[in-house]
Amino acid sequence: MKKIGAELKQHALTAISYMLPLVVASGLLIAVGNLMGGENVTELSKMTIPNALTSLGVLGMGLLPSFIAGYISYSIADRPGIAPGFLMGQIASFLGAGFLGGMIGGYLVGYIALFIKKNLKVPKWAEALMPMMIIPTLSAIIAGLIMFFVIGNPIVWATNALTNFITGLDQSSKGVYGFIIGALGCVDFGGPISKVPNLICDGLLLEGITEPEAIKVLAAMVPPLGVTFSLVLSKFMKKPIYSSQEVENIKIAFPMGLCMISEGVIPIAMNDLIRTVICTATGCGITGAISFTLGVGSKVPSGGVFVIPAMSNPIAALIALLAGTAVTGVLLVLIKKKKTDINETVVDDKEEEMDLSGISIS
Amino acid sequence: MKIVAVAACTSGIAHTYIAKEKLIRAAESMGHTIKVETQGTIGIEDELTAQDVKEADIVILAVDIAITGTERFEGKPTIKVPTNVCVKAPKQLIQKIENELNK
Repeated sequence: MKKIGAELKQHALTAISYMLPLVVASGLLIAVGNLMGGENVTELSKMTIPNALTSLGVLGMGLLPSFIAGYISYSIADRPGIAPGFLMGQIASFLGAGFLGGMIGGYLVGYIALFIKKNLKVPKWAEALMPMMIIPTLSAIIAGLIMFFVIGNPIVWATNALTNFITGLDQSSKGVYGFIIGALGCVDFGGPISKVPNLICDGLLLEGITEPEAIKVLAAMVPPLGVTFSLVLSKFMKKPIYSSQEVENIKIAFPMGLCMISEGVIPIAMNDLIRTVICTATGCGITGAISFTLGVGSKVPSGGVFVIPAMSNPIAALIALLAGTAVTGVLLVLIKKKKTDINETVVDDKEEEMDLSGISIS
Repeated sequence: MKIVAVAACTSGIAHTYIAKEKLIRAAESMGHTIKVETQGTIGIEDELTAQDVKEADIVILAVDIAITGTERFEGKPTIKVPTNVCVKAPKQLIQKIENELNK
């Protein structure tokens, strides 16, 4: 059972890894276009440079369901899965249930394609036709009909239910959910755990709900900015908490953090994992809670501080970001142990005990 | 022991390369030779040659996502783990491989 879960997750992560550059590029196009006063237009005669950027970004976002479905299917069935997967994404867009539809469609058509690939025996002369014609066409027909006639309505219903749930939240539950989304979204600094809530935020964005996306963008910046703030604060308090090697790492993590890449914190967190994660997750959660309660929304899924001006309420976004950063920084200075020798080189060989018994050579 | 490995994580910018560094450091400190191919967002780097794979005693796949070129490893002893195993416990992983291969 656990193995099936891991497999399903790998397929989703594969899709995300192909999707991320698309999301980032499209998101920035929309943001830059909007800042220049552009809007989404559908006629060539109305095209100005700002409009062109925004419109291209919106078109890019429209590709998302197909990317999700296509690359989930690719991960399951390899290359023959890509084409039918993209088709399922188009169905998802047609249904108006982009994200959820894309995921379900991708899994569905991927496993159908894999089944055909493994079980359909054709005469030798037709073998070349398998990946080119038979698998894509047959799997698209089967999965397509299922999508339209069997699970189409339930998917639309589920998407609407989720949308209504989020838009119907009152202030206090917004605080709670904001905290959870924020804290979970950066608990492992851009690693596999944080991809799950972030994926949900991207999905909600496709349904036109922008608040979770703002939490994602803001909270992702909190760990690196918070760590940087704690470094500054520790100098003031005369309580050194980082080795000189870690200080060098922080100097790299800070500019990365401004661009919403929290991975820069990993080398610092690794040396003192539990304390660091407690501090950063708390800060991220607070940023999330404030951002959600103040109703900050972001149409742009990526870009860090540069997209704050494009958010629905830039001042509130800034408040949320600074509050989380301050909390993380202060907590770090309070609970991290004082470094007696700041020149100590960190012994890297310390390993966490891991249970590797489930892993075997095949 | 000759090890070849492929590392690939979801965002393809950080964990992939941390896993690579950790594996190389652990393997070399334990007296093995190792070559690690990375499949990040930038594409494939340090690609394993057919010769590398042929000579290898074990293939480590440190991957969170589907990778390209798995057919190269058909018939080779292969061990597949998430990248975070290589980030957190590379030596334990290699120790385990040693034990399994010497059985």
